[in-house]
Amino acid sequence: MSPVIAWLRNPWGKARFLPLITLIYIIWSVVPVIIAILFAFNDGRSRTAWEGFSLRWFWTDQTLSVFHDDALQSALKHTLVLALISVLIATPLGVTLALGLQRWRGRGSGTVNVLMLLPLVTPEIVMGVALLLLFLQIFNQIGLGTTAQAIGQITFSLSYVVVMVRGRLVSIGPEYEEAAADLGAPPTQVLWRVLLPLLSPAILASAAVVFALSIDDFVVTQYLSGDASTTTVSMLLYASARGAPTPALNALATISLAITLGTLALVFIVYRRFAGGEDAAAVAGLEV
Amino acid sequence: METRWIWRVLAVPGVAWLSLFFLVAMYAVLSVALGNQNTLNQPLPYWNPLDWNVGYLFDTVSNIVHNGPFLKVFLRTVAYVVVAMVLSIAIGYPVAYYAARHAGRWRGIVLLLLVLPFWINYLMRMLAWINLLSPGGWGTRFLHDFGIEALFEKLGLLNQDGGWLNGQASSVVIALVYGYIPYLILPLYAALDRIDQRHIEAARDLGASPFAAFRRVTLPLSVPGILAGTVLIALPMFGDYYTNDLISASPRTSMIGNQIDEYARQGSQKTIGAVLTILLAAVLLILMFYYLRTTRKADLERAR
Amino acid sequence: MPPPSLAWRSDKLQGEIRLETLVKSFGDVNAVDGIDVHMPPGEFFTMVGPSGCGKTTTLRMIAGFERPTSGRILLDGEDVAQTPPHRRNVNTVFQSYALFPHLNVADNVAFGLKYKKVTKAERGKMVAEALSLVQLTGFEKRKPGQMSGGQQQRVALARALVLRPRVLLLDEPLGALDARLRKDLQVELKTLQESLGITFVFVTHDQEEALTMSDRLAVMNGGRVEQSGPPQEMYEEPATLFVADFLGVSNLVGAEATGRDGAACVLTVGDRKLLASQGDLGCRGAVKAMIRPERVRIEPQGSEGENRLPGLVEHLVFLGSFLEVRVRLLGGALVTALQANDGSETAYPQGSSVTVHLPAESLRVLPEVPTAVAEDDAASPAEDAAPAS
Repeated sequence: MSPVIAWLRNPWGKARFLPLITLIYIIWSVVPVIIAILFAFNDGRSRTAWEGFSLRWFWTDQTLSVFHDDALQSALKHTLVLALISVLIATPLGVTLALGLQRWRGRGSGTVNVLMLLPLVTPEIVMGVALLLLFLQIFNQIGLGTTAQAIGQITFSLSYVVVMVRGRLVSIGPEYEEAAADLGAPPTQVLWRVLLPLLSPAILASAAVVFALSIDDFVVTQYLSGDASTTTVSMLLYASARGAPTPALNALATISLAITLGTLALVFIVYRRFAGGEDAAAVAGLEV
Repeated sequence: METRWIWRVLAVPGVAWLSLFFLVAMYAVLSVALGNQNTLNQPLPYWNPLDWNVGYLFDTVSNIVHNGPFLKVFLRTVAYVVVAMVLSIAIGYPVAYYAARHAGRWRGIVLLLLVLPFWINYLMRMLAWINLLSPGGWGTRFLHDFGIEALFEKLGLLNQDGGWLNGQASSVVIALVYGYIPYLILPLYAALDRIDQRHIEAARDLGASPFAAFRRVTLPLSVPGILAGTVLIALPMFGDYYTNDLISASPRTSMIGNQIDEYARQGSQKTIGAVLTILLAAVLLILMFYYLRTTRKADLERAR
Repeated sequence: MPPPSLAWRSDKLQGEIRLETLVKSFGDVNAVDGIDVHMPPGEFFTMVGPSGCGKTTTLRMIAGFERPTSGRILLDGEDVAQTPPHRRNVNTVFQSYALFPHLNVADNVAFGLKYKKVTKAERGKMVAEALSLVQLTGFEKRKPGQMSGGQQQRVALARALVLRPRVLLLDEPLGALDARLRKDLQVELKTLQESLGITFVFVTHDQEEALTMSDRLAVMNGGRVEQSGPPQEMYEEPATLFVADFLGVSNLVGAEATGRDGAACVLTVGDRKLLASQGDLGCRGAVKAMIRPERVRIEPQGSEGENRLPGLVEHLVFLGSFLEVRVRLLGGALVTALQANDGSETAYPQGSSVTVHLPAESLRVLPEVPTAVAEDDAASPAEDAAPAS
């Protein structure tokens, strides 16, 4: 062991145990997921015994693969539908709120600001229970189901959009709007011709964030679920994980992950084309 | 510019949405918790604050205070969260420190890998562990072959029946660490990154060894970041129920979140569920205010 | 530079601005404290002063980005104080140019034309004309990020001028440029203004810039206009201590004004008597005697005559075309004299005793104002002697 210890004790450079711990952490963090993805391609039914490479759980198996199993497929579809609805509604709603908040001087702006931040700090279970009771006791015509799930997801995604767009607004500053007005543009034109184009990177990034948040959401989606048709991938994972599922579950999770990472990568590339590199890093890291 | 009202109008849809689907939802919790139940144990919310009935709230609180079953769950939750937080800091701080100050040309990749868990479904990460820790799984075999299983049993951290996934507190705690530690590492990284290198250089210049410089300069300056990060993960940990459901599935390790879930969603008594929710929210509110205060103080410090 | 087409010249005298008791307050602070300014049409008018004097706020009120707390802004007789900026016929060149980064040069310049009724063909022609005016023909497809500061500034100019405003407002446009480029652009801007014949309202903190470029200028301080007028008049006849100290370099010597002697005012500095024939001759009591360094004469020790004070050469600074001589008067005050390096005047070495002659016709009486002296003008060696009595 002593050469290892000597290496660790390296007196010349920086502490060697730090990169070691980091490496171990990263392995601990990432490898289990990689193994789970690996087993999605397992030829056998086991999730613990490797029997060779196969795509059966994705589509070749006639009854149990994601492609053929109705439950798995519908969960995937429903997840994507919810994600799309969330993006289409939360993004414009958040952008307008960010613009309005930024310009709001005077009474009420502080309160609205706090209101906007509250969903970010509210624990998921509190949100879940609150929304559940909302749709059971007050909006019971809507009741639980896809609409409720969408509404719930939009409600907590909104704040992310506002924070991201507002950050970009602040860094843009007031000068472009003043210049546009000075040159004769009325306020709606200023918004359309100057502000929105300048904000488009942040808008795109926040849409990607809403999409990812929606796909991976669990608590709120579960709480507001109606019947089996409103099951999402997350809910299916939760329900089946401890049972005796086939690797099709792993396959489903892998597909979901691929969609999320793929979308993020796409947005990252598009973003790079417009804005500089530093914003892209901020986007990737902006979760909390 | 006097066209200010145009901008304010833009804010209206967002504010309306949040008021309707957030504020009203919170109010619904209050009204159910402070309401009543019918004979079928279904909630009868009292919408008028003047009618609010503290009966169920009282019952639950006295249950907690007088050593009822809720107290046990609450204490257990606190214990799990505290241990998980300590472990998270112990693991997370060196990683954050490395990424912030020593990574050099690896920084980009390291950051990417540190951020990656945010975009992976939490349940998928837990699923991965279930696969690994099930009997015969690669993880179980690894832990057995390297003596760690025996070690845990000897320390009393592992009951011998059923393996890692059967009502084991240690599994739950470690799973919590696994699940939430990314939320600690990133703010901690940001805080450590912000520390001016020149402070450390000054300390070294004045004769401090690298470790002393760390202990007397970096560490104190990073305390606000540590505090902020821990509060940031304590909040979701307190409300967690699914980690326990997946990793343990036993009432032996039930947390507050599980109680709330059982009463509120699984339907036994939504009123009690609501009461527990507001109690939890109250506790977390205190934590949140503390978090806000320390970050504001830290901002003021930095501004000086 | 090619002469602009006749379409540019404003035939009627347009672009006259009058500010009447204009006030802008932010909370308890009056950034602009009731000013009255007249900017005649077709002139290059500058507002100059230290930071925080209110010049930028005033400009922004003329542009429409700030609403005045009270007062009127008359553009060719019409009060526009309540008109939003997109409806005023004035255009602004911003300090940071504010070129739209997502549009190229041609689209930037054409931006405002969308709100004027011009056809697409006319638009193209006007853009081309504007670009040639600022000598940027050929840059149409470039993006702002691909241009230097000086080029961006010209695009900003073109963008504003293409709209044929009656008044062009410029908010410290040369601030971000290096000294050499600045000098070149000062000349260009001045020439441009003269050939276009529209009113330029220019804001700067650089008094030298103000003096060289303007037809008329206003010196502002603390939200008020200290003095306004043509540059030469402001320089030769400053009305207040602040203006004297702010424009150019001045010697300010503390003195006691005791009475009149014919057309001159009698000042006492220490135990010496001086006559001053400029400034506020009726003033009595503690005053400042002001004289420009180029008017101070250094004479040999013991030289006789009125307005002559003994002193010691404390410091000599060689400035190339000038020699700066700093003399400490016996009373304690420090006076700077500027001697031309044309070989004609005698050089008095450091440490030698000399006589300082302050000709009465160049000596100006300025009333003492407790807090008005500008502290940022490091060039002026304004140190007081302990006043007599």
